[in-house]
Amino acid sequence: MTEEKKDIYFKIFRFNPEVDQHPFYDDFKISVEKGVTILRAINYIKDHVDSTLTYRFYCQAGICGSCSMRVNGVSKLACTTQVWDELPNCKETDVITIEPMNNFEIIRDMVVEYTPVISKLEKYISWVTPKIKQQDLGKKEHIISEAEFKVYDAATDCILCGACYSECSMMTSSREYISPLGLLKAYRMVKDSRDTRSNDRMKVLNEDHGMWDCTHCYRCVEACVKKIPIMDAIQGVRNEAFLRGMKNSEGYRHAYAFTQDIKSVGRLKESTIAVRTKGIFGAISMLPFALKMLGRNRMPKVFVHTIPGIKHVKRIFQKIK
Amino acid sequence: MKYAYYISCINESLSMEADTSMNLWKKDLGIELVPLESGTCCGGSNLDFTSPDQFLAINGRNIALAEKIGLDMITSCNTCLLGLRHAKHILDTQPEKKEMVNAIIREEGLEYTGKSEVKHLLWVLVDDYGLDKLAEKVTNPLTDLSFAPFYGCHILRPSPLMGGYDDPNRPHTLEDLVRRLGGNVVEYESKNKCCGFHTLLVAEDESVKLSGSALDEAITAGADFIVTPCPLCHMALDAYQKEALAKVQSGGKMRILHLSQIVGLALGYSEKALGLQKHVVV
Repeated sequence: MTEEKKDIYFKIFRFNPEVDQHPFYDDFKISVEKGVTILRAINYIKDHVDSTLTYRFYCQAGICGSCSMRVNGVSKLACTTQVWDELPNCKETDVITIEPMNNFEIIRDMVVEYTPVISKLEKYISWVTPKIKQQDLGKKEHIISEAEFKVYDAATDCILCGACYSECSMMTSSREYISPLGLLKAYRMVKDSRDTRSNDRMKVLNEDHGMWDCTHCYRCVEACVKKIPIMDAIQGVRNEAFLRGMKNSEGYRHAYAFTQDIKSVGRLKESTIAVRTKGIFGAISMLPFALKMLGRNRMPKVFVHTIPGIKHVKRIFQKIK
Repeated sequence: MKYAYYISCINESLSMEADTSMNLWKKDLGIELVPLESGTCCGGSNLDFTSPDQFLAINGRNIALAEKIGLDMITSCNTCLLGLRHAKHILDTQPEKKEMVNAIIREEGLEYTGKSEVKHLLWVLVDDYGLDKLAEKVTNPLTDLSFAPFYGCHILRPSPLMGGYDDPNRPHTLEDLVRRLGGNVVEYESKNKCCGFHTLLVAEDESVKLSGSALDEAITAGADFIVTPCPLCHMALDAYQKEALAKVQSGGKMRILHLSQIVGLALGYSEKALGLQKHVVV
């Protein structure tokens, strides 16, 4: 039986900021066998066609997270992605596009500047500061129950490849945003009973560009190479803010308003949601929006009707906290 | 075809024109909708973190209302779709959570079993009704008009919850629908990206940048309209358009249509009847 083999075109992003005024693309045609990964294919190009092609890789087994890049527009690991699996995703038949991750500065070709990720991990205290005193470390144990570990088991799978960071909507708007991986690590540390710095961490998470700025687009969840439910972690950090009664944020007040409306009438009272989120002074910035709506005769109902059977909804809130 | 209709908060308040439009043409397609008047807000992707168990009970109850009348449920808001399907997934896979919910809602004569599907209006049109049949109903083909589809996140992601209707990286159902209504489809990068709606009140600058990029791309691509199946995306793209375009240093304007409006136009209803004049950008 002959092995399946075909000519594949690789359209690869090139940019050396020290030399090139603008990024450009190089096209490489190589013959590829079924079963070859994207990483092996571009290694072939580097070894046999153009040795200046630059990208990171190390473990070649989906563990180290260094070969993350965009393949046909989507951030993933080159070493765990099969060329054949990408063929249905090509815009032009058998032309695979290789580009660096989004939301990073480019050092060269697919190599991006990773320092901002490390800075965020530092800013949000993404490590465990143990209860056990320094001199007793290694001598005493702090037992983690299975139930506790289950809470952050998935989060510990993160290899910091940066695919979520690259796909994140909010990161494209502001590089100051904590990022999905920052929130994932924060959740993992906040829920760890060995740690002593959760209060400090939650305080920083509650600031601008922190936990409340995620816009729930789920692009991180979709991109995660380890299939970690990152949004559960993001919502988990926010849930922690609720459990701790950290009321001094617009994010908290916004979510609180939703729960109160459901509990009291069943539906959202849109007319006052801005005031309840931003406060009276903050809501002044919403005046142009209100006027635009008024101009189109579109005003939210001031008196929202109470749904039939609200007593049953109230009972849910009484029985479940 | 008969469904339970889940009323989303925004469609009975700020964006009434979306449901008004759907209610105009549903009879033309022989679709009967039973509005779930006792349904509550889905939590707007907030209740799931303020109290995950309350979130399950509230939405388990919402779906149980449809089950009680033996119908599948339709929503025309992406975020409601996600909230309901998210809760449904948990209730269908974790028996102890289902029992927790049922223990409370039984007192109302409700029982969550998992038998009612939760679908988006777009899916119902494309899949249940069928685009061939829909195309036969078109009396005013949207020839000469170009549409930029904007899916919105919560009909695409997380994909395991979305029933396999679309690949989130390469969605096509909305394009298929536009083409069968006679319209042209404009390709642009942002069609499966985020409008920023959910952070408009807490991070407006960052949020409008997202809608601004989508609008700018659609304008550059030469679209006459953006069409979206989500009233929240509509709000971000229409009502915040001026701020959004200014934020990305772009100009021009783009009219934004609800899914129900593009269908209405193709079925021969007037712009006025469909409430296009209610939009901020007209």
